[in-house]
Amino acid sequence: MVKLSLDSTFAALSDPTRRAILARLALGETSVTDLAKPFAMSLPAVSKHLKVLERAGLIARGREAQWRPCRIEPRALKDIDDWLAHYRRFFDESFDRLDAYLQKLQAKERNNRGPKRKDRKDGRNKQPRS
Amino acid sequence: MAVTSSLDLDRDPRSIIGTREFDAPRELLFSAWTDPKHLAQWWGPNGFTTTTYSFDFRPGGTWRFVMHGPDGRDYQNLITFEQIVPPERIVYRHGGADDVEPVQFRQTVIFEDLGGRTRLIWRGDFPSAAERDHVIREYGADKGLAQTMARLADYVAAQV
Repeated sequence: MVKLSLDSTFAALSDPTRRAILARLALGETSVTDLAKPFAMSLPAVSKHLKVLERAGLIARGREAQWRPCRIEPRALKDIDDWLAHYRRFFDESFDRLDAYLQKLQAKERNNRGPKRKDRKDGRNKQPRS
Repeated sequence: MAVTSSLDLDRDPRSIIGTREFDAPRELLFSAWTDPKHLAQWWGPNGFTTTTYSFDFRPGGTWRFVMHGPDGRDYQNLITFEQIVPPERIVYRHGGADDVEPVQFRQTVIFEDLGGRTRLIWRGDFPSAAERDHVIREYGADKGLAQTMARLADYVAAQV
């Protein structure tokens, strides 16, 4: 279920204001008013960002009527982290395998070329090895 | 043989860019992407194998396959080719069907000729939100996902 929101998690993280909000929340639970302080934007604008973060599962908001404190939900971040780790592994290990495969293909090609050239009658091969 | 490889998350807040050099001519490297027989030999991290259901290598064509994980789990995959420029470039979209892994991204693969060697540039763009270009223009100088992740990873490690 959390996995389904990975796209929205990435979308939520793509905005620098939202990343700044998350960074602030990493220090601890905070009210919307306090969160808004460092930003030159209205409370409703900040609330909008919080809604995006909440929908993406990145933060949760308390139900305590007045100040509804915001806090980070580590699960969604953990999912993103896991996914990035897989992506990185794909990059490192697939391309290691691709590299090895290409070496094999090129070695095979060299081997095939050798004997074939010997069979040619046009005498154009210079075959240094005998 | 010196293989250079890097994966960069900071150049742009929306993408992950990897570069890697191969000791092989560009045409050969490109051809390794164009045939499921080749792809089966290298696609996926160590321990993974790939079974192809269908492969249609043309713009708009799809590659449907399953990756068998070393843990026995199967990962259904769908790739839709968007742009194919032999032997220079392949752009494909990952995901987008009900039964496949629910992460969508666009991958651009660029093959640069280095005279017998080839540099591969592997760029993933996330996600497919409408305001992507706007965001890149406006926040291009932003440090991006990597920093956030690095900062938050510490936090998560302490919490989970």
